[in-house]
Amino acid sequence: MAKFITIGERLSTTAPAVNKAFTQRDPEPIIARAKQQLDAGATYLDVNIGPAESDGEDLMKWAVQLLQSEFDNVPLALDTSNKKAIEAGISVYNRSKGKPIVNSADAAGRIENIDLAAANDAIVIALCNGEGIAKDNDERMGYCQLLLERGLEHGMEAEDLWFDPLFLVVKGMQDKQMQILECIKMFSDMGLNSTGGLSNNSNGMPKHIRPIMDSAMVAMAMMQGLTSAIVNPNDTRLMETIKSCDVLKNNTLYADSYLEI
Amino acid sequence: MPFTAKSGKFNASIKTVTIGTGDKAITLGGENVLPFYTFDAPIENAPKVGIEITDFGLENEPECIKKYYEGCTTLAEIAKKAASFEGVDFLCFRMEGGDPNGANKSTEELIAALKEVADAVDLPLVVSGSKNVEKDAELLTKAAEALQGRNAVILPAREENYKTVGAAAGLAYNQVVGAESSVDINLAKQLNVLLTQLGVNASSIAMNVGTATAGYGYEYVASTMQRVKAAALSQNDTQLQMPIITPVASETWAVKESVTSEADIPEWGDQERRGVDMEVQTAAADLACGSNAVILKHPTSIATISKMIKELI
Repeated sequence: MAKFITIGERLSTTAPAVNKAFTQRDPEPIIARAKQQLDAGATYLDVNIGPAESDGEDLMKWAVQLLQSEFDNVPLALDTSNKKAIEAGISVYNRSKGKPIVNSADAAGRIENIDLAAANDAIVIALCNGEGIAKDNDERMGYCQLLLERGLEHGMEAEDLWFDPLFLVVKGMQDKQMQILECIKMFSDMGLNSTGGLSNNSNGMPKHIRPIMDSAMVAMAMMQGLTSAIVNPNDTRLMETIKSCDVLKNNTLYADSYLEI
Repeated sequence: MPFTAKSGKFNASIKTVTIGTGDKAITLGGENVLPFYTFDAPIENAPKVGIEITDFGLENEPECIKKYYEGCTTLAEIAKKAASFEGVDFLCFRMEGGDPNGANKSTEELIAALKEVADAVDLPLVVSGSKNVEKDAELLTKAAEALQGRNAVILPAREENYKTVGAAAGLAYNQVVGAESSVDINLAKQLNVLLTQLGVNASSIAMNVGTATAGYGYEYVASTMQRVKAAALSQNDTQLQMPIITPVASETWAVKESVTSEADIPEWGDQERRGVDMEVQTAAADLACGSNAVILKHPTSIATISKMIKELI
């Protein structure tokens, strides 16, 4: 099995500092955050520019070129609801270190992002969700089938669709957590890749609790076959857990210094 | 539906390590396929074969080896003769006399012997220690210094002395560090991590991941090498992508099948043939499991293995 893939989530307009830097095209805060994440072991970096309706294309191009030139063609997930911005980002993207990821498609309004990924030989995060939160795994797997077929029809390889079960917040939806984990197992049994915004589970919890919950969640999810996650790589406890699970799953060969590499 | 062959080529590859200088320099590694899988992708650098001599000269060698060195008395003459045999790509000088539990020769004496050998040949060199970690820390540091400019492999840096040997060979004197782990995949990786953390360039590290004679716990060696190659190629583990050098002769010429004379056990037949068989079979297995170089001793074994490599690549 391949090593678990982490997608660093800290370049997001939801962080005011990043939002400001994107708006002003100020490279330094972007580069600093990217470096922190890569030094901590992130494989991909997510570039969330928000809806970016007015200047999305220009902004995404700027961000892709900035990051790839600064960090040896680091592979990126292009994260925006603006489809043109994603295409613009891919047009300047260097794929020597990995295909771009389109973040994301779903089974409702954003299903065309599958077609976009197919047309551009990209990976796509396929969120198994329609309108509102799926009520059970029958519904999730129905969306999974729909998204998978759409990708295959457009010439994608199944491995380039990374299925997202939609991690749910414990505070409020505690009874759904095992469902999500079972859904990951279903993806895995079908030989499909998977990913998701894992830290959703700990939303609203005290700051010192979140790394603990996220680590427990990633360990259980990796046991179920999760192959990737969108995470904060600067969460040391989480990254140590991922590295340890990679060892236990025989995804990487153990060495005494495994946490340092 | 027509059959479409899928290439077993990997996206990762073994790092290349160059040994020696000038025309005779050799390059190990670089492949992105399993050993000898040239049908998946070309293997640019074929595995290499080295010849081993020791500081004892011919003193402890069996008759069937001695006869090839007829007329040689000094280490320089022995080294020149060794370098002349068909199929020899590099020369390994093993300073076994340094072992405090054996002849316990002084570091000065051994370094003088090493210089004599090094001056006699222009082949790439591998220097091998005394098997004693404390003695080796001193001996191999001096050896790295003595061979400045030769780009030699200094073997072995082990868990107990990697800092001293790694710093001397890899940092101070620009040699190639030979990291030795005895059939322990986790330690093989760990040593490479430690050496790179020490500052040694990853392209100046070769590994000896363990060695045994065929029939003597060999399956552990085979599975270790295979796991190392699997991690390096299929898991793209950069800490295990260093090429592997495997000493063979020092193992195979120590087992009873190779050392027992025909007079003692007539039904076993000719001793020389047995010794060569053990050496050739072990070396062939090492290469099939992923060794990028093997170190042998008998000229017939060297010619045979060299021919095998040429036929397969």
